Amino acid sequence: MAKYALIITEKPDAAKRIATALDSRGKPEKVEDNGVPYFLASRDRKLVVVPALGHLYTVIQDRGGRNYYPVFSFKWAPRYKAERRAKETQAWVEVFSKLSDDADDFIAACDYDIEGSLIGYCLLKYACNGKESVAKRMKFSTLTKSELEKTYEEPLPHLDFALIEAGRTRHEVDWLYGVNLSRALTLSARRWSGKYATLSTGRVQGPTLRFLVKRERAIGLFVPKPYWSIHAEAEIKGSACEVEYERKKIGRKAEADKVVQDCRGKAGKIESIEVRKYQQRPPIPFDLGGLQTEAYSLFGYTPRWTAGIAQRLYLAALISYPRTSSQKLPPAINYRGILEALGKKPAYRKLTSSLLKREKLTPREGKKEDPAHPAVYPTGSLPERALSDQEKNIWDLIVRRFMAVFGEPAIKQSMKATLALDGHHFYLRGRQVLKAGWMRFYKPYIRTEEVLLPPIEEGEVAKLRQIAREDKFTSPPPRYNPSSLLKKMEEEGIGTKATRADIIQTLYDRNYIRDKRIEVTALGFDIAEILHKHCPRVISVKFTRELEEKMEQVRAESERRENVLVEAVDRLKPMLEELKKREERMGEALSNAVKKARMEERIVGNCPNCGTGKLIILYSRKTGKRFIGCTNYFNGLCKTSFPLPQKGTVKSLRSECAGCGWPLVEVRTKGRRPWRLCFNPDCPRKEERKKYGEMRDLRERSN
Amino acid sequence: MGKCEICEREATNEYCELHEKAHENIVQRYEIWQEAMDISWREYLSALAENSYTGSWAKDVAKHLNQKDER
Repeated sequence: MAKYALIITEKPDAAKRIATALDSRGKPEKVEDNGVPYFLASRDRKLVVVPALGHLYTVIQDRGGRNYYPVFSFKWAPRYKAERRAKETQAWVEVFSKLSDDADDFIAACDYDIEGSLIGYCLLKYACNGKESVAKRMKFSTLTKSELEKTYEEPLPHLDFALIEAGRTRHEVDWLYGVNLSRALTLSARRWSGKYATLSTGRVQGPTLRFLVKRERAIGLFVPKPYWSIHAEAEIKGSACEVEYERKKIGRKAEADKVVQDCRGKAGKIESIEVRKYQQRPPIPFDLGGLQTEAYSLFGYTPRWTAGIAQRLYLAALISYPRTSSQKLPPAINYRGILEALGKKPAYRKLTSSLLKREKLTPREGKKEDPAHPAVYPTGSLPERALSDQEKNIWDLIVRRFMAVFGEPAIKQSMKATLALDGHHFYLRGRQVLKAGWMRFYKPYIRTEEVLLPPIEEGEVAKLRQIAREDKFTSPPPRYNPSSLLKKMEEEGIGTKATRADIIQTLYDRNYIRDKRIEVTALGFDIAEILHKHCPRVISVKFTRELEEKMEQVRAESERRENVLVEAVDRLKPMLEELKKREERMGEALSNAVKKARMEERIVGNCPNCGTGKLIILYSRKTGKRFIGCTNYFNGLCKTSFPLPQKGTVKSLRSECAGCGWPLVEVRTKGRRPWRLCFNPDCPRKEERKKYGEMRDLRERSN
Repeated sequence: MGKCEICEREATNEYCELHEKAHENIVQRYEIWQEAMDISWREYLSALAENSYTGSWAKDVAKHLNQKDER
């Protein structure tokens, strides 16, 4: 067989796009070997473009079983040897090995970041039998044909070893912490209770949970303070305008009552009018965190969800590489070229042409930089396939943000008129956009509302039409949501742009937190408290941040991987010794926490019949079947019970049926969408649901 | 070491660490409530127990103190 160049990519979609861009006819041949797709392309020579499936290699324990800690010896091995769920990756590793035999040139074309570089390195080193030292590197930020062709013609002469070293260090340090600390928790609980429960913590997971617990404590311990405000409406030139009392918060009820009494039905004079014009500069380009925050506030997408959508848009060559920390857009990306290409879409034509008329295009940029990639920007390519609604939203958001950063400042005006009335002052506030500037490009995503006031003059008389006291209370600090938590992690310097969203997801998966407005579960709370009590360094933010900085130094080549590993082990050892010493006490506390959490999970809600008991998921001793029963049954007070489906899993939804107010449960069975079940046999919505279900079945059958 | 009167966690005095802290907060804030609206201790506890902004541990303590008073 003729020799060829083997191009390693990160995912099948990327392989297809790279092969299509590099094939001289734009039609590479797709081949499948043992379920693994790869592409044959021809250009100046024969090319074989093979995708990985993300990481095909991982860190594993060098020797010994799973039931002890500490473990400090590790090695890199194929994932299929370490993870039960990664069996399919065996075929991929084998295909890489086979194809490397006849290759005489090796090119890594994975995403240009720590993870991508490490994926390519492991495949070249382990699957391709030590080709990491001879391989070249394609460096790109978009999957557009022009950029891929350019980087193929001018690749980096060798792999990006600094990124690889940083990646290896991160994986190895995270493995050392994750495995040892999680085993310390799991094994101490098991040794105490004899029962197995997966309990985990990690280098970043622990401190993140700690933020949440700190907030949970502040909320749970909160005692509100009362205060009063004044709600008033004045009549000016025949129209009613809301006015704001000079003191937003009044600390004593009697004082608030006096204001109402003094002002009710009275007229006052406009004493002064202040008008202020100010500029609002355009927004800065998106880095991944910025995109995730904006997508959460506009569409409610979690950071992980947004990162997934952005990754798909990148693979479709619609946007640049999204996992970036940069807020800069260098001129090399060709602003004009992108705007001209975007102008082919009718919705953007007018906007892009107004920008293209300018002689010079200068984006507003943020401070953050990323040595590997620019900020997220649209490539100018238009979708080749129909995008889902969510993809459309994110793409449009990125396109409009890109245009907006070139916009002129918006000019706004605020107005404050002061109404003086018997020694009291009320304010009328208005705001208006005088010149839209950049806001024209970002219009659908702008959330400020204009408030227009009627024409007012100083000395004008205005009568209060309505005035009332409003009873209010101070509120506790807000709960974190996935987006604000991600921001907090970023501010505190823990985790990376690529890992933060996944760490938050792990906390959900472990049942340490729940809901979008994040609430720490009893289990999460207990885990954090136990760690805080027995080994506070595990959840120390400072400690995690220091390690994070060390790993950054490896990337910048000012620190060696070996030194960081030695330091990480040196710090980990005393923690594990402490945990070992306290294993019995910690085991008892953890076992109790798990027991309590399992019990709580089974509680569905209050019993609607006796009112004092709790409805709980139970199993019949006779038949083994599950059902819902009242806890007062055990006291001989209530015999309420309801049947449950026997297949799949059932869990409490902690919400009530809109029809009857009874608690709802969620049923999940394999191959079906999860469904909400109201177990009230007399629920008024029962018939409605039945009809809806029949109609859905009919629709499914006719499709 | 005893048990918390409310949740049965470990306690040095009457309450566990969390309910103890909540109790402190309740006692501290009473002065502010009293100045603001001339309210009795009992009324204050009832208001806290019903207020949606009161944290869950503070609510537990407010209810517990109220019940204790009734007894």
